[in-house]
Amino acid sequence: MTRQSPKVGVYGFTGCAGDQLMILNCEDQLVDLFGATEIRSFLMAKSDNHEGELDVAFVEGSISTDHQEKKLKDIRARSKVLIAIGGCACVGGPQAMMVGDGKWEERFKKVYGNAKITVAKPNEAKPIDAIVKVDIYIPGCPIDKSEFLNAVSKLVAGKHPYLYQFPVCNECRWKENPCILYAGKFCGGPLTKAGCGAICPTLGLPCVGCWGPTDDLNVTSEYQLLKEKGYDPDEVMKKLRKFGGAKLAELVKDIEKKGAKA
Amino acid sequence: MKKMCVVLEDREIRDNPFTPDMFRIVRRYPLTNDVNFYQARPVDVEEALKFDYKPGQFVMMSLIGEGEAPFSLSSTPSRPGMLEFCIRNVGTLTSTLHGMKENETVGIRGPYGNGFPIDKMLGMDILIVAGGLGAAPLRSLLLYILDNRDQFGKLTYLHGARLPGEMLFREEFIQLKDREDLNCLLAVDKDDTGKWPYKVGVVTELFKDLGPVDGKNTFGVICGPPAMYRFVTPHLVKLGIPKHQILMTLERRMKCGVGKCGHCAIEYLYTCIDGPVFSYWDVLHMKEIIGRGVSDKTIA
Amino acid sequence: MMILKMKKEDLSTFLDAVKEWGELWGPTKKDGKVSFSKVDSLSQMDLKATRTIIPPKKFLYPPRFTMFDFDENGYVERTGDVPKRILFGIHPCDIHGVVIMDKLFLETYNDPYYRERREKTLLLGHSCIPDEKCMCIATDTDFIAEGFDLFFTDLKMSYLVWVGSTKGHDLIRMKPELFSRALDKSDILNYTAYRKWKNTQYKTMVDFTGMPDIFELGYSSQVWDKLGDKCLSCGQCSMVCPTCNCYNVVDDVELGSIEGTRDRFWDSCMFREYSLVAGGHNFREKRADRLRLWYTHKLQAYIGEFGKPACVGCGRCVATCPVDINVVTVADALKEQEVGK
Repeated sequence: MTRQSPKVGVYGFTGCAGDQLMILNCEDQLVDLFGATEIRSFLMAKSDNHEGELDVAFVEGSISTDHQEKKLKDIRARSKVLIAIGGCACVGGPQAMMVGDGKWEERFKKVYGNAKITVAKPNEAKPIDAIVKVDIYIPGCPIDKSEFLNAVSKLVAGKHPYLYQFPVCNECRWKENPCILYAGKFCGGPLTKAGCGAICPTLGLPCVGCWGPTDDLNVTSEYQLLKEKGYDPDEVMKKLRKFGGAKLAELVKDIEKKGAKA
Repeated sequence: MKKMCVVLEDREIRDNPFTPDMFRIVRRYPLTNDVNFYQARPVDVEEALKFDYKPGQFVMMSLIGEGEAPFSLSSTPSRPGMLEFCIRNVGTLTSTLHGMKENETVGIRGPYGNGFPIDKMLGMDILIVAGGLGAAPLRSLLLYILDNRDQFGKLTYLHGARLPGEMLFREEFIQLKDREDLNCLLAVDKDDTGKWPYKVGVVTELFKDLGPVDGKNTFGVICGPPAMYRFVTPHLVKLGIPKHQILMTLERRMKCGVGKCGHCAIEYLYTCIDGPVFSYWDVLHMKEIIGRGVSDKTIA
Repeated sequence: MMILKMKKEDLSTFLDAVKEWGELWGPTKKDGKVSFSKVDSLSQMDLKATRTIIPPKKFLYPPRFTMFDFDENGYVERTGDVPKRILFGIHPCDIHGVVIMDKLFLETYNDPYYRERREKTLLLGHSCIPDEKCMCIATDTDFIAEGFDLFFTDLKMSYLVWVGSTKGHDLIRMKPELFSRALDKSDILNYTAYRKWKNTQYKTMVDFTGMPDIFELGYSSQVWDKLGDKCLSCGQCSMVCPTCNCYNVVDDVELGSIEGTRDRFWDSCMFREYSLVAGGHNFREKRADRLRLWYTHKLQAYIGEFGKPACVGCGRCVATCPVDINVVTVADALKEQEVGK
């Protein structure tokens, strides 16, 4: 192979750093990963970091201060390919579950009181594509090792990663699980991207949507279905929004507009 | 290397219809700013002359590690030895392909699809209407007819592009204008160069310059962006060309090319094995084909 | 076709004996999960289970498998690693499903991956008791005359065993002493009684007569939009349908190399990505259009070509779709439709 190893940077913003941890947790492949790529910057993994031109930047976390916004723009400017890793970067994460309700300042005050924040100016949490163009999304909370390595392998070979775009229900059927939603119980599967291997439903637990919303979800229909099954509309909304972030917030607004809630 | 598929009818000649054979890119140059021309021949040179196909057929092209997609052949079987493609950089696979250099290899399997019904077209007048990238499969038919000129009647080639710089095979087609044995009419929607010596206007404007057409003895052939079918078909119908003699070649997503993966289904037909060439009469039965809401009122 | 008789208590002995040919698989029930699983003996099977969540197509055409290994020199087919299996307890509807899959994968271009699995999988059918979701009587798939190697009809005291292939006959010859050709009048009476009784068991009534025309008439019906508003695009209907064959193909590479695999996995026309072509044009952007394609294929196109629907009446869509879109509700809605403009 004559192809040069790509220069890679791994960055984290607001989040639990679980996705970066997951990369480091690829124990069996970690040596290969560091061998196949030239990791220029990865604060969580090493101390000699160089901030320059990158072939690929992996970005974890949502953006919640003006300082982060600036830093993200800088990363974008020097990266050929920018990849959002994890639910926070992709859709905003749990910290964006209330996004757009107009009560952010109220909530901020509830948590921080009148404390003066001087390090940076805080904002409502946003997914990174609210600030910069994102080329590839690797969803998950946290990301799945094999899905991540699969995408990295393709990038190293100069090819385009392929990630499942369909709902996790597809994988759930491959595992031969009975449909939880059909049984009349809450399950976020039809709204949620595949890629996790349907771990929760395979263990008999409903999908909480941690892979984030698909590009083609019918949240109105799911909402109505759950209401018909006797679920409290407010509870349903809370559950749907937990990992849905900014994207689901938009759609949920739609439901309210259409009066489906009434 | 396994035996290549020799003729379409011999469908079971290969053990595994999904195995691509390796081809080498021998020439590659840009036709426009986002469309490249490619010439490829089998890595195993002995196989080169055995690859036979019909104008209008397509192949599945694999880029190792990237995947596979269908591409129509722009070359003619009457000039064997080399396969030609013109390919627009629009997706993941084509962008990787555009980054490849001459001498690199790709996988190819096929040819697939019905192709143009050459047998039925023999002795008939042919009126070809190409729009944009639609010139890719139609060039195969055009060159085939030119190479077998005495077997066909009157030949007319209409080609529309958005801008002069976006016209595929521009120089090649301009040269055809000098030939006596075909009527080649070219148009651009807009002339941003100020130097375009031919028609400026949409492709249907060219119908004004056609002269008399013997509709009953003519095959009309269309390929272009979806909207073009809607505008061009009424003109062909008006010329008196019977619906089953108006041919269209269609593009769909495909993952197999051999009628298994389902992606190219249009209602009850598969573009890969029942098409990609359909007659307007077929199309009238497939409401989904040109778009929702298209009824007889708009296209007949 | 050859029909033999077997004492019911001998089935276990027979299945133990045929394991010599290949792995024994049968319907099992665990934590509400009904599936075909590998078993050691008859005792682990649940022959009363009406339908597995996934039909036996998973054996002939797994949800995800590798077609090729590749490196920079080209593609090498991956076949030959499929185990020999005996599937016991397949119901007539599912065998009909396999017969339809055979048409799709083995006619015109012959799919070597399907062919290998089909040849290495023996189908041992078993009679069934319809439940409230079964409708094979409406699709004429309640009995089966082809596609299986052996078929066991449970007549309480004994089995009548149809021998459908030479391979099936070879299994019989592994324990010939368990089978008898001595059929008598009581067997005929018992069998006809069973058929009569089975016919009375259906609760789901659906009439597919005239479906191709009804679909043609209803092409622009608002029924599709209404169903499209409900559809979750979860694709479950395709996964559980015995006659859904659509797939996608993707290349994966190994880290730091160009070597890798070309995999095939189950896809569904219900997904947005399915009809999306490079450049962003989607031929079926609307859910209503995707639904219509799915049902057109099952209830119009296949009838037009082969004279019967590509629905085998197994009831899996009825038992799966969370928003109640299935062959029954769609056929009924179309028949009582108001045709749109």
